[in-house]
Amino acid sequence: MIERDDHHVKRAFEALRREDAAGTPPFAATIAAARARRTARPRRRALELAAAVIVLVAVVVISIRRERAGVRLEIDLATVRWQAPTDFLLNLPGDELLRSVPHLGPRGLDRRTL
Amino acid sequence: MPPADLTAELEELHAAAFGWAMSCCGWDRTAAEDVLQATYLKVLDGRARFDGRSSFRTFVFGVIARTAREARRRAGLRRWLPLASLLLAVDGRPDPATALVRADETARLVRALGRLSERQRQVLHLVFYEDLTIAEAAAVAGVSVGTARTHYERGKAALRTLLGEERE
Repeated sequence: MIERDDHHVKRAFEALRREDAAGTPPFAATIAAARARRTARPRRRALELAAAVIVLVAVVVISIRRERAGVRLEIDLATVRWQAPTDFLLNLPGDELLRSVPHLGPRGLDRRTL
Repeated sequence: MPPADLTAELEELHAAAFGWAMSCCGWDRTAAEDVLQATYLKVLDGRARFDGRSSFRTFVFGVIARTAREARRRAGLRRWLPLASLLLAVDGRPDPATALVRADETARLVRALGRLSERQRQVLHLVFYEDLTIAEAAAVAGVSVGTARTHYERGKAALRTLLGEERE
């Protein structure tokens, strides 16, 4: 599988393997650390689960309280409306007629007169 | 397999397994030790069960690769937590202490491997470092033999170029 021109790649990997082998932790220590994790893991899992439950309960309680208190986020745009100093230039004589619908009276137009 | 036999088999594979864990964790020694411990625990507790369909070595290497992937995923999620920088996490980079003691040639190789895709790096490591065949490397990486061969050829060509660039 390894071709002739791959030999320098192979040599580099062998050097890497030798270096890693020199720094390999002892098997006994690795197994001991793994067994220590086995005893520590259930406690950690329980802590993580407890933290998740606390956060969930807090979110539910806060949302229920806010709903009961009737707190609603409302934005009143009228209070934040900005008025420019030159707005008066937009006021035209008789412009109130443009903002309202003309009222033709209760009877309206008589079709027979048309 | 009885637990005593499992332990003996793991001990025989220990140096090779550590090298493979180092590769899966981007030569971060702390992360590699963590992944190796988690792997041994999975094998000894029976959460990863050897069914004899492959060699024991291929099976253990597969568990290491999966465990390293899980660790990376967890580390990715933990980055979103407050004070995440205080937690130890697999970030796919060599730890400074390991990088410092590397010889020039191996440091060049590690840097060049770091620039390959994960699959190419895995297949090259398994073939050149662990002396596995491409079929065995495919089983460990969880890809077809054809895909593993493609990663092997392309990875090897890219590695030769990168090592050439590093030497210049």
